[in-house]
Amino acid sequence: MKKMVKFGLAALMGASMLVGCSSSKPAAEETASKTDAEQVVENGKLVVGVTDFAPMDYKDENGNWIGFDADLATAFAKDLGIDVEIIEIDWDNKILELNNKSVDCIWNGMTLTDEVKSSMECSNAYCNNAQVVIVNKDVADKYKDTESLKDLTFAVEAGSAGEEQAIAYELNYTAVQNQANALMEVAAGTSDAAIIDSLMAAAMVGEGTGYEQLTYTVGLNAEEYGVGFRKGSDLAAKLNDFFKKCYEDGTLKEIAEKYGVQASLIEMK
Amino acid sequence: METFLQQLPTVLHALNIGFLQTLKLFIATLVGAIPLGLLICFGSTSKYKIISGFFNIIIWIVRGTPLMIQLLIIYYFPGLVLHNPVWGGSETGRFMASALAFIVNYACYFSEIFRGGIQGISVGQDEAGLVLGMSKVEIFVHVKLLQMIKRILPPMSNEILTLVKDTSLARIIALQEVIWAGQSFMKGSQGISGEIWPLFFTAFYYLVCNGILTVVLNRLEKKLEFFR
Amino acid sequence: MAILKVEHLSKSFGSTKVLKDICFSLEKSEILSIIGSSGSGKTTLLRCLNFLETPNNGIILVNEKEVFNGKTQKTLTESQKKENRLHFGLVFQSFNLFPQYTALENVTLARKLAAKKEKDYKSRKKEILQEIEEEGIQLLKQMGLEHRMHQYPHQLSGGQCQRVAIARALALKPDILCFDEPTSALDPELTGEVLKVIKELAEQKMTMVIVTHEMAFAKDVSDKVIFMDNGVVLEYGSPEEVFDNPKEERTKQFLGRFINE
Repeated sequence: MKKMVKFGLAALMGASMLVGCSSSKPAAEETASKTDAEQVVENGKLVVGVTDFAPMDYKDENGNWIGFDADLATAFAKDLGIDVEIIEIDWDNKILELNNKSVDCIWNGMTLTDEVKSSMECSNAYCNNAQVVIVNKDVADKYKDTESLKDLTFAVEAGSAGEEQAIAYELNYTAVQNQANALMEVAAGTSDAAIIDSLMAAAMVGEGTGYEQLTYTVGLNAEEYGVGFRKGSDLAAKLNDFFKKCYEDGTLKEIAEKYGVQASLIEMK
Repeated sequence: METFLQQLPTVLHALNIGFLQTLKLFIATLVGAIPLGLLICFGSTSKYKIISGFFNIIIWIVRGTPLMIQLLIIYYFPGLVLHNPVWGGSETGRFMASALAFIVNYACYFSEIFRGGIQGISVGQDEAGLVLGMSKVEIFVHVKLLQMIKRILPPMSNEILTLVKDTSLARIIALQEVIWAGQSFMKGSQGISGEIWPLFFTAFYYLVCNGILTVVLNRLEKKLEFFR
Repeated sequence: MAILKVEHLSKSFGSTKVLKDICFSLEKSEILSIIGSSGSGKTTLLRCLNFLETPNNGIILVNEKEVFNGKTQKTLTESQKKENRLHFGLVFQSFNLFPQYTALENVTLARKLAAKKEKDYKSRKKEILQEIEEEGIQLLKQMGLEHRMHQYPHQLSGGQCQRVAIARALALKPDILCFDEPTSALDPELTGEVLKVIKELAEQKMTMVIVTHEMAFAKDVSDKVIFMDNGVVLEYGSPEEVFDNPKEERTKQFLGRFINE
């Protein structure tokens, strides 16, 4: 009987946990004796949660992680005197992964939305981005301003900055699993248009990509990328110092040029 | 066509790595869930009401909730609620959590199949063993086990083929199995982006795997046709 | 000296009394037939002797040694039951052969398993197994099944199956061999071969308890006959006494049905 009660309790806790994460409130701050920075140094590695997202984080021919963010993360870990471990996660679960301590930070061209800022300890913005509208090439001329978008059906990534824009502009949209699926919807004709990151659009749409028939037209907003840590983590401040140092000595620009994103770089003062 | 041929080796390489993970999870689940399922089966048919009740509640909970939820709870519960991330973030940790979830889930399904298989054997077999001075364990191992295997093979084959496909659920906790690998080329990976054919291609892996399993299981069924 | 003595045995399932105050005894090499209509408790009595059921009360003595006494011991442990069972062999109505074993394997399985627990098993393994195998072959030959030894039960006729089952029970060398309606599941033309085997065993002085509906056979082969009705021993005596001069009206009625057939 005792066992049954215990199991019931566990199940209840499990249920409350799931409710907890869906409302995306930050996990209760622990009265941990060690700070996050001390903990990662003790672990000897900084675990970075990423998705395959060129040019920020992606794999080379040998399966090693490279990209603007991956290289920066490696440099940051080196600065802390530890190794870096890059782990591919499900983007939908990024906050869960942080709170679960299965990763120490989310460093993956992450747009600093209000939701992200309220659920993570974020670094200063280091890169500019925009949300852009993707349509078929042959109809691109008709959709040059935000007013013309009203009669289109959109596909956007659920919970993304793109979805926020779709809501803000009162667009008619369907939420899909990720940005790639959103593109797929347009290519397949199931949606008229998609809203995705401009950095991603540059890499995935148009000449020489898998989506040659698509193009991007209207930019909906301007936004910024940042790195997310666990709520209350002291690593965010440490990263800000590191960013500043790298901006001043030119390493930041050097890495950015390697991946063609130098134009988007934000000045670190 | 030309780009397809250029991309094929990269894609196949990634899919192979993903499918290895799929296979590992499949094998770990089978190896773990069959003995555990037998244990649960004995527990749920125990003559002690407390024991059988306990196991039947577990079976009810595990079979009554989606495997996807179980995966999420097993992987995230220790870190989020107990503040003790036992699994860690690495691929190995994710694999262990997935294997645990799959083993427990499938053990519960297996246990019900085993229960049917054992209960379908006539009590005459038990009694014949008993009057010949055999112990209950001896009767199970030497008399009933093979008869049970013969009975449960068709429903087990079904579960096993389903298991191969179910392993793809582990991607919810970012286990990089073959569908994850296939889908990565939609988002863009290793210079290939916006391609859906690698995802469709994963179906081929499942087909081959299940084809081989079907042949093996059919052969096993044939092998057990020597008695009725 | 009685090889088997049953005193005041009773058994209930819930509130239904199935056996009431059963008493009888059996000398070595004697054959006891138990007759009666279905539901009279014959099979339950046989199952109590083989400890497939535990009696509620009464005493069972084998070779004058108490194997069950309801007064001192209401329940038996599995190992006690297991030990007691070895005095008895039981042949079932529905054979209950193990389908995945050949005729010979059916006969030798229990002995091979038992032999594993012997102290000298490891050192004499080959020898012991050889011996068991040979005795099994001998038993099947005795049953007239030397050509069927390596066939599986589903390849055998009902009569052949029942003969394998008899050999299987004999392999453990029981003191008393019990039959529970050994021919009831057989086609009429197959009963003869099984009855013949039982008769041969009688000639070899095997002690047997037979629950049967074959009245002519029971009369012919038995030393003692019990007629049971509604859980009670109504008649108990020699075949002549029970078949030719029954005391009870109920017995006459029952036997009359068979004569009319």
